[in-house]
Amino acid sequence: MGRYRGLFPYALAAGLIILLAVFAPYLAPMDPYAQDLSLALRPPDSVNLLGTDRYGRDVLSRVIVGSQITICSSLLLLVATTVFGSVVGALCGLRGGRLDTIVMRLSDVFLAFPEMVFAIAAASVIGGGIAGAAMALILISWPKYARLARGLVLTIRSMPYLEAARMSGSSDREILFDHVLGNIAGPILVTAALNLGTIIMELAGLSFLGLGAMPPAAEWGAMMSNGRSMIQTAPWVILAPGMAIFVSVAVFNMLGDKLRDVFDPK
Amino acid sequence: MMNSKKAAVLAALALGGAVLLAGCGGGEKQQASKEKVFTYGTTAYSASNENAGTNPHNSYVGWTTIRYGIGETLFRFKDNLELEPWLAKDYQQIDDNTVKINLKDNITFSNGKKVTGEAVKACLEALIKNHDRAPGDLKIESITAEGQSVTIKSKEKTPALLNYLSDPYGCIIDVEAGEKDRIVVGTGPYVAVSVTDNEIVLKKNDKYWGAVKPKLDKIVVKGILDGDTLTMALQNGEIDAAQGLPYASHELFNDTAKFTKSQANTSRVFEIDFNFKTPELQDVKVRKAISMAIDKEGFTKVLLKGNGAPAVGPYPDSMTFGGKAVTASAYDLEGAKALLKEAGYQDTDGDGYVDKNGKNLELRYLSYPSRQELPLLAESAQASLKKIGVKLNVNVTDNYKSFRKNGEYDMFANAFVTAPTGDPEYYLSTHYLTGASYNYGFYSNPTMDALGRELHNAFGAEARAKLAIRMEQLALDDCAYIYASHLRMSLIMKKGIKGLTAHPSDYYEITSELDKE
Amino acid sequence: MKKYIVKRLLHLIPILLGITLLSFGLMRLTNDDAVDVFYDKNGAVSEEVKAARRAELGLDKPFLVQYGSWLGGIVTGDMGKSYISGRPVLESIMTKLPATVELMLVSILMTLVFALPLGIISAVMKGSAVDRVIRFLSFVGNSMPNFFVALLLIYFLAVKLHLLPVMGSSADWRSVLMPAMTLAVSMGAKYTRQIRAVVLEELGKDYVAGARSRGVSEAVILVKSVLKSSLVTLVTLLALSVGSLLGGAAIVETIFMWDGVGKLAVEAILSRDYPLIQTYVVWMAFIFVMVNLLADILYHFLDPRVRLGRGDG
Repeated sequence: MGRYRGLFPYALAAGLIILLAVFAPYLAPMDPYAQDLSLALRPPDSVNLLGTDRYGRDVLSRVIVGSQITICSSLLLLVATTVFGSVVGALCGLRGGRLDTIVMRLSDVFLAFPEMVFAIAAASVIGGGIAGAAMALILISWPKYARLARGLVLTIRSMPYLEAARMSGSSDREILFDHVLGNIAGPILVTAALNLGTIIMELAGLSFLGLGAMPPAAEWGAMMSNGRSMIQTAPWVILAPGMAIFVSVAVFNMLGDKLRDVFDPK
Repeated sequence: MMNSKKAAVLAALALGGAVLLAGCGGGEKQQASKEKVFTYGTTAYSASNENAGTNPHNSYVGWTTIRYGIGETLFRFKDNLELEPWLAKDYQQIDDNTVKINLKDNITFSNGKKVTGEAVKACLEALIKNHDRAPGDLKIESITAEGQSVTIKSKEKTPALLNYLSDPYGCIIDVEAGEKDRIVVGTGPYVAVSVTDNEIVLKKNDKYWGAVKPKLDKIVVKGILDGDTLTMALQNGEIDAAQGLPYASHELFNDTAKFTKSQANTSRVFEIDFNFKTPELQDVKVRKAISMAIDKEGFTKVLLKGNGAPAVGPYPDSMTFGGKAVTASAYDLEGAKALLKEAGYQDTDGDGYVDKNGKNLELRYLSYPSRQELPLLAESAQASLKKIGVKLNVNVTDNYKSFRKNGEYDMFANAFVTAPTGDPEYYLSTHYLTGASYNYGFYSNPTMDALGRELHNAFGAEARAKLAIRMEQLALDDCAYIYASHLRMSLIMKKGIKGLTAHPSDYYEITSELDKE
Repeated sequence: MKKYIVKRLLHLIPILLGITLLSFGLMRLTNDDAVDVFYDKNGAVSEEVKAARRAELGLDKPFLVQYGSWLGGIVTGDMGKSYISGRPVLESIMTKLPATVELMLVSILMTLVFALPLGIISAVMKGSAVDRVIRFLSFVGNSMPNFFVALLLIYFLAVKLHLLPVMGSSADWRSVLMPAMTLAVSMGAKYTRQIRAVVLEELGKDYVAGARSRGVSEAVILVKSVLKSSLVTLVTLLALSVGSLLGGAAIVETIFMWDGVGKLAVEAILSRDYPLIQTYVVWMAFIFVMVNLLADILYHFLDPRVRLGRGDG
């Protein structure tokens, strides 16, 4: 299994980030929402390792807890998009016919929109904070997965084992779940992994525009946008969440690259 | 091999350079001039503020007309928001429904035409024909002109008529000259030469009627919505003065050798309305406890960086019917807890929030982010109320109107200019009376409604002030509203800019006094 | 060729219809009342005035009727009036479009200036320290959200070093540099990687080995053969970039006060100016579709190996 070796450090780093996100509330040294106006905007020191924001909240604790909001919602959103897109796409590939035509024409329409343009407009209309922003991103990104899954299914549709399953009277649903999804999972997972970094950035971007997480939520994009006016007077308020986004996106991107090298060697 | 690789690298670099050269065909423009040019950056000018343009008869465009020295009104507000004549010389109240306004004799529009009673009549008629709010405010039945005077007859008693005429929409323009390329002809010290959604270019009005003549050749007003861009533009010297800088950047301009500040307390108040339809909030003790838990001092000093004054009532302290004339309960967390206990709320399950009949005291707090202070107030209120065991679910959204329409809020925080006309009735009648248009908390008190009717019919500033104070105090005793703070507006400018002063009304920015050394 | 273009154009019709229907439907999802939004800023206005305004804007009619009349308007070039400024939205967008196009062109130019040489150098010197540094940098650029890049550029280039102006302005040509640079960072990073991959692939091909054995210099091979064939990849990349540039422009233009359609759209969103948002979404999709169509045709033209119907995505 030599080809998996290069994967390990990145998988470890990504795993650590996800663990951090899941257990964030227990790991944060202070209450990320406790205000103390007398401690407002302190530069980093031995008590507040990354300083405090304008409400006197500990920036380090907010960055840690923020990982939960940013990373977990990105992951959830990615899973939702991937599962929905792949199932729809795989069904289209299996069944063909009218369903296929309708869904593919629909996906043509979605794919015709520049992603962020659509997401910004949709998030503003849907409203409702980070969930609305996530909805907007799901809405625009499922067709990518549908097309990918459909293409993959078309290549395996005439494989003997599918023919055999069909002959033995399995329903479409059984075929889909028992035979198809397992066989197309690899390339879809790689695509999803490569996409995670982008999703984190897009979600943070929507929050940055005020279309995502609501205050006082410690979401990285929102923290940066709320701290923008302090870039000169208290840069730590922006740099900390900015670096957090950068590091996690970088780790997930590297992991995606390595995964692609492993599963899809050119 | 290595050499040819080097050659390849060089070729690659040359290719990059070639692309660069091919693309950079454009030339450079540089304009040098000896004229005095003043560049002004403001967060207030934009299409989304509905004030882009110069024609005061469109929505809020009058604010632009008056702020940047293009138009002037018949009367203007002094620093204490009392009226003084401007284009008018004086006025006579003929009867309850009729007022005669006499104009100064020496006033001309920037196109040289004299401002006569006839011109003012034409302008006001165009105003009530075209503007959305003016007809309802002014309630004009007829206007007659005679020489240098206009006589306005109202449909009903309108004691605040002159105040309304001093609203920015009351700028007197030459309607005969019309509007060309979004430019109208006013009487102010500067004349617009080009107008877009983001920028107005002005030049000196050589025919200005006032005693003080305009001193600058050209003024560029740039709408810069983003506070940080504005900050850095002023730091980099791209603009000479700025309005609407974020509070967090004020300290960057403390160097008095380089910058000057001009500040004024305005009547823009940050208020929180209690929704009386919420069962928990129908108990005055709960409303009072919440009022006592809002840290107005901390909000103003720390979060607004001292750019404001803690508020008592709706009006600033400088007004006769302002904060000094009324009282509200002070910040007192222990007292607030005691009140909640009296109302039957205690933390029985130890989750940090008080409860009654097994239900936590949990309230929905609605506000919006387009005023930079409101999100700060929301987060501060949320943290303060947590200290007395009240849970606030904050919803700060641009979409707030749909939540408000659906009644999805228990508290609604907003910013409001309480005395745009210097008269108390506008705010009181729209907020305190049963069913009034801005009474988002559905507050209703028959005594208040009676006082409101009395105020509507009362003439004379003193009598009106007295009634206003009674109404304010009643609302405060009922704990219908929390008044957190009044905005202190700031203009920050480079050293050497003279005559740019912040005004409490927020109407007058560029005047003929403005100069640049 | 002609047949192909006609086929692609016909294929476009249902997509354009879909785009308009989706954009229009999206804006109707909100329960915000545009007329309330319009009046409810400072002054009180009676319900009658609001009702009259609603009727004037046709907001009291059923969905499909509104869509039909809107679509009819689009075809005749009338895309409605802004609820806020009262001026035709198409005019607003058209006056702002040149600024956005300028920003995009400059950022594409910057991208090519950096990515082409870096990608080629990285490929030619594969495995060397230079290659590793370039790959690391492109990785960093690819992992930074554009708003973070924008803030860092502002902080260092404008605030600390006073090199560039912060504000977008038509008077100073340098003001395009920082927003364009922001967009170019992530795009350049992506292109560098792609160009490196393509060049590596081409360099491994037989004809290159053949040319080498004939003593053709490395530089000539690169410029004459390899680049020509990478051009195809570049065209596809550029067409796809238009989409992310249009989206990224919304954030970047807002930060830098660059007076283009992106900033206009963000402002329209804040003031719930539906006709403007709708028109913006439709136009951006339209531009994106057209650019991709052009790229497909160009692709077709550049690389005869591509079979008909390949670009139906």
